[in-house]
Amino acid sequence: MRLHLAIASLTRHRARTALAILGVAVAAAMLLDMVMLSSGMRESFGALLESRGFSIRLAPRGTLPFDTDATIGGASEIVAVLTRNPDITVVSPVLGATVHVVEGADRTTAFAIGVHPAVQGDYEVERGADALAGDSFVANEEFATATGARVGDTLTLATGYSPQLRAYGGERRAVFSGVARFLYLSRGQPAIAMPLATLQAMGGTERRDRASLFMVRVREGAAPDSVQRWIEQTVPRVDAISTREALARVDERLAYFRQMALILGGVSLLVGFLLVTTLVTVSVNQRIGEIAVQRAMGISRAHVVHQIVAESLAISLLGAGVGLALGLVTARWLNGILASFPGLPTAIDFFLFQPRAAWTALGLLVASGILAGVYPSWRAASLPVARTLREEAVA
Amino acid sequence: MVSLGLALALQGTTRTIAIDERLATDASLHVGDRVVVASTPGAAGDTVIVGAILSRRADPSEIARDEYRVRLHLDHLQELIGYGDRVDRFAVATRDSSGAERARTAINDVAFGFRAHRSRDVAIETSQTFRVVSRFHRAIGVITIVASAIFLLCILLLKVDERRRDVAALRLLGLSRRTVLGAVVLEAAFVALVGSLVGTAIGALASAAVNAYYQAHYRTPLRFSIVTPDIIALAALLSILLGIAAGTLAALRLVRARPLALMGR
Repeated sequence: MRLHLAIASLTRHRARTALAILGVAVAAAMLLDMVMLSSGMRESFGALLESRGFSIRLAPRGTLPFDTDATIGGASEIVAVLTRNPDITVVSPVLGATVHVVEGADRTTAFAIGVHPAVQGDYEVERGADALAGDSFVANEEFATATGARVGDTLTLATGYSPQLRAYGGERRAVFSGVARFLYLSRGQPAIAMPLATLQAMGGTERRDRASLFMVRVREGAAPDSVQRWIEQTVPRVDAISTREALARVDERLAYFRQMALILGGVSLLVGFLLVTTLVTVSVNQRIGEIAVQRAMGISRAHVVHQIVAESLAISLLGAGVGLALGLVTARWLNGILASFPGLPTAIDFFLFQPRAAWTALGLLVASGILAGVYPSWRAASLPVARTLREEAVA
Repeated sequence: MVSLGLALALQGTTRTIAIDERLATDASLHVGDRVVVASTPGAAGDTVIVGAILSRRADPSEIARDEYRVRLHLDHLQELIGYGDRVDRFAVATRDSSGAERARTAINDVAFGFRAHRSRDVAIETSQTFRVVSRFHRAIGVITIVASAIFLLCILLLKVDERRRDVAALRLLGLSRRTVLGAVVLEAAFVALVGSLVGTAIGALASAAVNAYYQAHYRTPLRFSIVTPDIIALAALLSILLGIAAGTLAALRLVRARPLALMGR
């Protein structure tokens, strides 16, 4: 009965109700997007860091992984020290460098990483074979496109270009053994991976036994925090960064987006709330006589309150339904814009859909819908019945 | 800009450096203090005197980097990091913009191992991050405008609809449909104009709050939010146009109805 009356009241002014639902839908879409934005980057980045099971990263002291050109000397000794800890199962040293493909007059520049292919956590081979042999490498599609090389081709790779001498420090003929997808690199960046020893040798004495980063996998059940503390005590020339710390630093750097999400989400909720409150208040004002008649007939205050709250809730729920679908579309659009951030790994999503985000947005909208009905329902329930009937009759 | 003192003259063999105000604040350093600078953590380095404290520029590329800046004399830095007689780049000033292009071409014709670029081209290349943020802000702006437009339409429709008995009375008094329509539309436009003025004031206050918060948070003089006459004009124009459109739509429905029907008879 209450629901029937609420629906009848909403369908009486269809254009007005449709506009209100549309307004709530846009606010709901924005709210969902902002809830997704506030947690999406963190979740997405965390998932990326943990995707290969490495929970600690070692970088040169005072730096973040690959934030500078700094490297760590004595790489093999560090690996030996770390693997003595029973809580550490895998240590993957990584050296970063710029390589040039030297084929005739063409020069293609790419980012290169030197790894131990058997334990690396930087890429996944999609076609062909891993770079297990010393003079072989895997590369991404961008590299293959830029150089026109195909799996099986042999290319001349060089490092250490000196602009003054116009000469390279080290050159090596290497076989393009497979196509790989690099997990932490940005879209459009040509990249290759080759055995660590090969890349170190190409860099000459400057790169001998050096690494830019170590990735550490911890035994299941062991506490990464205690392993991290042990590493920092044992190898004081490195910064050991746990996934939790890395996420905290990302949070700090991207605080702007999180705060913006909070503000815009709050504004969206307020706009939706005001819209529903205004509409239902005007609707109550227009049928004040009708409500007075209902009260005079013996219909309880609670019944009137329920009917009006049901009206505001119906608008909020219908708007939320449309808005959540609209929000997914706009999130995709906005994510497409932010995905073109330079240097951002392809796998990072700013707007990550999680059921929790949708439930949070829906919960907030339902709560706001109920609150939006409080003022008009209180107004309707506290009408002086006799006076209202007399005034309505005179009018 | 040097905000505190000028670089001190060399005191004996001790060199001077300039540090930024963020480092000065965090490390409680003052002009005249002695510090050790080294190229790697833990290395012996050089003892130097803080000769000047520099204030931060309003550079958007610096805000996300919570880092410190130290300026040394070129030969000092080259010596400290073992860089030899090398530099990363040269900045070249020319008399005018056409001179810049001629100089760039001339340098590149004789360059051996380096390239000359115009500052404008370098700025475009390095401002990609801010162009992405700017596009994102514009997209959020479009969604906000759509939401505001619907809100405004809804409110004005309700506002005009509330006047149905007044409109009926005016029509019964003999006023033409045209006059009533004009009056209602004018009222809607006035409400929209007043609303946009109040909105502009709220927007200016919000903008000031945003600037105050983020300037303190990132410790930068950069202005994050700017309310320009163009933005005010766009908001006011959009609001008035939407107000007139909503007012016209609602008023047309009212004046087409019979006055007695509007009275509920």
